[in-house]
Amino acid sequence: MSNDTTATDAFPQAEDLSGPLLTVKDLRTTFSTPRGDLTAVDGVSLELGRGETLGIVGESGSGKTVLSRSIMGLLPRSKTTQSGSILFEGTEIVDAPDATLRDIWGAKIAMVFQDPMTSLNPVVRIERQITESLRLHTTMDKAEAKATAISLLGQVGIPSPAERVRAYPFQLSGGMRQRVTIAIALACSPRLLLADEPTTGLDVTVQAQILDLLSSLQAERHMAVILVTHDLGVVATRTDRIAVMYAGHIVEMASTRRLFASMAMPYTQALLKSTPRISDPSHTRLTAIDGRPPDLINPPTGCAFAPRCDYATEQCRIEAPPLRTAPEDPTHLFACWNPLQTGHAGTVTTAKGEL
Amino acid sequence: MSAESTPLLTVNDLVVSFKKGRQVVQAVAGISFDVFEGETLGLVGESGCGKSTTGRAIVRIEEPTSGEVAVEGRQLTGLGRSELRKARTSIQMIFQDPVSSLNPRRRVKDIVAEPLDIWKTAEGAERDAIVREMLEAVGLDPDVAGERFPREFSGGQCQRISIARALVMKPKVLICDEMVSALDVSVQAQILNLVEDLKAKYGLTLVFIAHDLAVVKNVSDRVAVMYLGRLCEVAPSDDLYALPAHPYTQALLSAVVEPDPEKAASHVALTGEPPSPINPPSGCRFRTRCPKAEERCATEVPELREIAPRHQVACHFPTLRA
Amino acid sequence: MEPKAVVPSRKRKPLGKVFWISVGWIGLVFLLAIIASWIGLEDPNNGDYALINAGPSWGHPFGTDDLGRDILSRVIYGARVSLIVGFGAMAIGMTLGGTLGMIAAYRRGAVDTLVSAASYVMLAFPALVAVIAIVAFWGHEIWKITIIVGIASTPLVYRVIRAATLSYATREFVTAAKAQGATDTRILTRELLPNVLPTVISYFLIGVATVIILEGALAFLGLSVPAPTASWGNMINESRTYLSDNPWLALFPSLAMFLFLIALNLVGDTLRQSFDVQESKL
Ligand SMILES: Nc1ncnc2c1ncn2[C@@H]1O[C@H](COP(=O)(O)OP(=O)(O)OP(=O)(O)O)[C@@H](O)[C@H]1O
Ligand SMILES: Nc1ncnc2c1ncn2[C@@H]1O[C@H](COP(=O)(O)OP(=O)(O)OP(=O)(O)O)[C@@H](O)[C@H]1O
Ligand code: SF4
Ligand SMILES: [Mg+2]
Ligand SMILES: [Mg+2]
Repeated sequence: MSNDTTATDAFPQAEDLSGPLLTVKDLRTTFSTPRGDLTAVDGVSLELGRGETLGIVGESGSGKTVLSRSIMGLLPRSKTTQSGSILFEGTEIVDAPDATLRDIWGAKIAMVFQDPMTSLNPVVRIERQITESLRLHTTMDKAEAKATAISLLGQVGIPSPAERVRAYPFQLSGGMRQRVTIAIALACSPRLLLADEPTTGLDVTVQAQILDLLSSLQAERHMAVILVTHDLGVVATRTDRIAVMYAGHIVEMASTRRLFASMAMPYTQALLKSTPRISDPSHTRLTAIDGRPPDLINPPTGCAFAPRCDYATEQCRIEAPPLRTAPEDPTHLFACWNPLQTGHAGTVTTAKGEL
Repeated sequence: MSAESTPLLTVNDLVVSFKKGRQVVQAVAGISFDVFEGETLGLVGESGCGKSTTGRAIVRIEEPTSGEVAVEGRQLTGLGRSELRKARTSIQMIFQDPVSSLNPRRRVKDIVAEPLDIWKTAEGAERDAIVREMLEAVGLDPDVAGERFPREFSGGQCQRISIARALVMKPKVLICDEMVSALDVSVQAQILNLVEDLKAKYGLTLVFIAHDLAVVKNVSDRVAVMYLGRLCEVAPSDDLYALPAHPYTQALLSAVVEPDPEKAASHVALTGEPPSPINPPSGCRFRTRCPKAEERCATEVPELREIAPRHQVACHFPTLRA
Repeated sequence: MEPKAVVPSRKRKPLGKVFWISVGWIGLVFLLAIIASWIGLEDPNNGDYALINAGPSWGHPFGTDDLGRDILSRVIYGARVSLIVGFGAMAIGMTLGGTLGMIAAYRRGAVDTLVSAASYVMLAFPALVAVIAIVAFWGHEIWKITIIVGIASTPLVYRVIRAATLSYATREFVTAAKAQGATDTRILTRELLPNVLPTVISYFLIGVATVIILEGALAFLGLSVPAPTASWGNMINESRTYLSDNPWLALFPSLAMFLFLIALNLVGDTLRQSFDVQESKL
C-alpha cells in the first residue's frame, strides 16, 4: 500500500473538492480457484475526476465487473487477494475495515447492477428498498424518507410515483425495474455511481431512455459515473473517457473522441470492426476476432492479445507491452508494441510512474 | 430471390393466443409474410412483441390458433402428428441460449447425430462421416469436439454445435431465434459470418429473429418490424433503414446507439413501454405511443399495404418518399 | 481461420475418503446378506437354550439373545429384510412415481393436473397410519410390506422427480429435439432421463434409508416380518424387554442400522453435491 494512505486516513478530506475523486494505483485482484490463482484485474491504474464519466469496455471475462466491484470493496474477502491502492476521496478501499466501507456504500459510492430482477428483493416493496439506505445514512424520519423516495421515483421517470412506491418488483416491467434500481442508487446522492451493464438485456428504446436518464441525472448532480459495458455504442456518446480492458489489463485509455478518432490498440480496433453498424449496408462482412481471450489462470507471456492480433510480432509474444502515452496526447494511454497510428515513439510509463 | 417466383415459406394470417388465467393473450395477432428461396428475412421488435412466438408457431412447436404456414406450397398447419414430425426436418430452428439448447449429458457427436438417429437416415460409418462434415462446416475440429460434452465449450462454440445439429438434415428453412444475442461482439461476428457462409454453401433460406437492429440489418435481405403481435413494416433492409415509413420503425431506429461519438446521442421520441397484449389498443396498436396518431388510428386498423415496390407499411400516415 | 480450440476438460472434484468408506460398507452389508447361508453362520432362528443372553465370546462374537440365538447371525440375516424392503420398496416407488413424475412434467396439461392432484390426496393422508392399517389388514409377509411401503412412497417420489424433470423439460434442448421430429418416448428416455438420473440415484439412496427406518417403526408395533425371521427392526424391538440384562441385544442391530443409514445418507448426499457442482458448470 502506498504512503499517502496513512496521511489521508488521519485527515479525511471529505470537503476537499480539488484533486481526483478516485485514484486507483496498480490494482491487482486475484481469486484462488480449484485450478489455481486467477488474476482477474492485473495492475490497473486510473484516475477519475469529480463529475466525470468513464466508460469501461471489453469482452466478457476481461475483468470489468471485478474491477468495478473492487473499487466498491464489494468482493468476498475469502479466496480473494488484492494489492495496490484505491483511494476514494482520500479513503483507502483496499483492505478497508467493514465499518469504513459501510459508511461509503450507498452514501458515497452506489452501484446499478445488470439484472434488476436479481438485485431487487422480490418480496419487499419498492418504498422500503429505497428508504432503507436513506434511514441508514441520513437523519430522515419515516415520512421524510418516503417523500424522498417518491420524488426519486419521479426523477427517474416512473409515472404516478406516489402509487408505484407501494409496488413489488414483479409488478414492474424490466425498464421500470432498472429505473427503480437507479432510484435506489441515487437515494443518498452518491459522488460516484458504478453502473455495471445497466442496459444489457433491455430493448433499444428502453436502453436509450435509461442512458438518457443517467446522463441527465449525472449533469444535475455533478456525479461521477463509471459505465461498464461490452457495447462500444453505449459509451461512444455518453462518456468523457473510455478505458478498454483485455484479460485484466487496461490496454487503452483516452478521451472518448480521441479514442474513436485515433485508436492505437489493435484490440480496440478489432472490437470496433466486429460490431455490426446500422450505417453500414446490409451483408457487410464483419471482421471477426479469431480465437478467444486467454485463460487467466495461465496467462500467456508477452501481450495477452498477441495470439489473436493481426499486427503481432515476435516481440509481442515475448515481452508484455507497458502502458505508454501517445506523443500527441499525454492523456492517451495504450499498451502495444505496434500501435496503429501513433507510431513507436511513445513515452513509456508504467503503473509505478515514468520509467 | 425475384418477387415473381413462388415463395418458399408462406405465413398467412397467423394468430397465436395463450390463455393467461381467464384472459387471452394474442401474442401474434394475424401476421402474413413470404420468404423467398435463398432469402434472409429479419424479424425485429421490442421484447414481448411476439417474435419468438411467430418463429415457434412456424415450426409448430407452438400450436397456431389460426392461420396457415406453408413450405414449398405444402401446408404445415393441419398436419397430423406423424406427418408433422416428418415435415419438421425441412424446417429447423436455432435458439437463443446456446447452453440450454444442448443436452448437457450427451456427447457433441451424438447431439449432432440426433436427427439422423431419429430418422435412421444414416448409420455407422456414414453417420459418423456426416457428423464430421457438419462439425467441420461450423468450424469445430471433429476429432477434438466430438467426444466432449457441451459444458466443455464456450457459448460461441455451443452455438456452432446447435447450427451443426440444425443443418444435419439439410433443411430448406432455418429459423434463428436471437441466435447471437447471448454472445460477445467478437464471437457474434464469427457466428454471423459463419451463417452467411453456410447460407451460401447450403442454399439456406433464413428467418432471422433478433432485437438488435444492427445485427438484423447485417444479415437480412428484407426486414419485418413487429409491434405487439402485428407487423408494422416490411421492406428490403437498406430501404427500411434509410427510409423508414412507419413511425414505430423511425422511433426504433432513432434509439439505436452507434459506436461513433460524432453521431449525437439519440433522443428517443418514444416514451414508455408497449402496452399489455392482454388489452391491446383499438385500431392501430401503436397509437398510444405514436407521435402522429389521430382519431382515425383509434377506430380503424391499418392494413399492411405497399407504398413502394416491396415496401409494405401498416400505418394511416406513413412517411412517403419525396 | 476459424477457432478450433476447446476448453480443457475440467477435472471432477474427488468424492473423498468418507464416500468410498461408505460405499465399501454398503457393499459389505450387501455381500454378507447375499452369502449369509454359505459362510457357516449359526442358524439365526434356532438357538442354544443353554446359552441365553450371553455376552460376546469366541463362539458368539456378538453374544446371544433371550432364546440363545446367535446375534451376529441374526444381524446378518436381518440385513436381508432391511435390504429387500428398503431397496424393493424404493424400486417400486421410483418406477411408479418416477415414471409418472417425468411424464407429468414433460406433458403438463391435464395429465399433470390429474396425477398431481392424486399425489396431493395421497400425501395429505398420514402415510404411516395408512401403511400400518393396510399391513395389519393384509398381512406382514416381506413382499407385502415391500409393495405397501413402495406404493406409499410413490407420491413423494413423484413430486421430487416431477420437480427435477420440470427444470429440464422447459429447456431449449427439449424443444430442439421436438423440432427435429423426436417422439415423446425418445425425448423422455434420451433427453430427459439422463438429466434426471442424478436426482433419481441420490434420492433413491436417501429413500432407502427412510424405508429402513419405517421397517423399524413397523417392527415396534409388531407389524414387521413375522417371528422368528430376523430383521433389524424386530431385533431392536425384542431387545426392549432385556435392555438391562443384555444391552448387546439392542446394541448390535442398532449399530448395524445406524451405520448403514449413515452410509446411505452420506453416499446419497455426496453424489447429489457432486452432481450439483457439475450442474453449475453447465
Ligand atoms: N468470484 C470469482 N471467483 C473466481 N473467478 C472469478 C470470480 N469472479 C470473476 N472471476 C473471473 O474473473 C474474470 C473476470 O470476470 P468479470 O466478471 O470481471 O468479467 P466481465 O468483464 O465483467 O465480463 P462480462 O462481460 O461477462 O460481465 C473471469 O475470468 C471470471 O471467470
Ligand atoms: N407459453 C406462453 N404462455 C403464455 N404467454 C406467452 C407464452 N409465450 C409467450 N407468451 C406471451 O406472448 C407475448 C409474446 O412473447 P414472445 O416470446 O413471442 O416475444 P418476443 O418478441 O420473442 O420477446 P423477446 O424479445 O423478449 O424474446 C408475450 O407477452 C409473452 O408474455
Ligand atoms: S396508424 Fe396512426 S397510430 Fe399507427 S403508426 Fe400510423 S400514425 Fe401512428
Ligand atoms: Mg460483468
Ligand atoms: Mg424471444
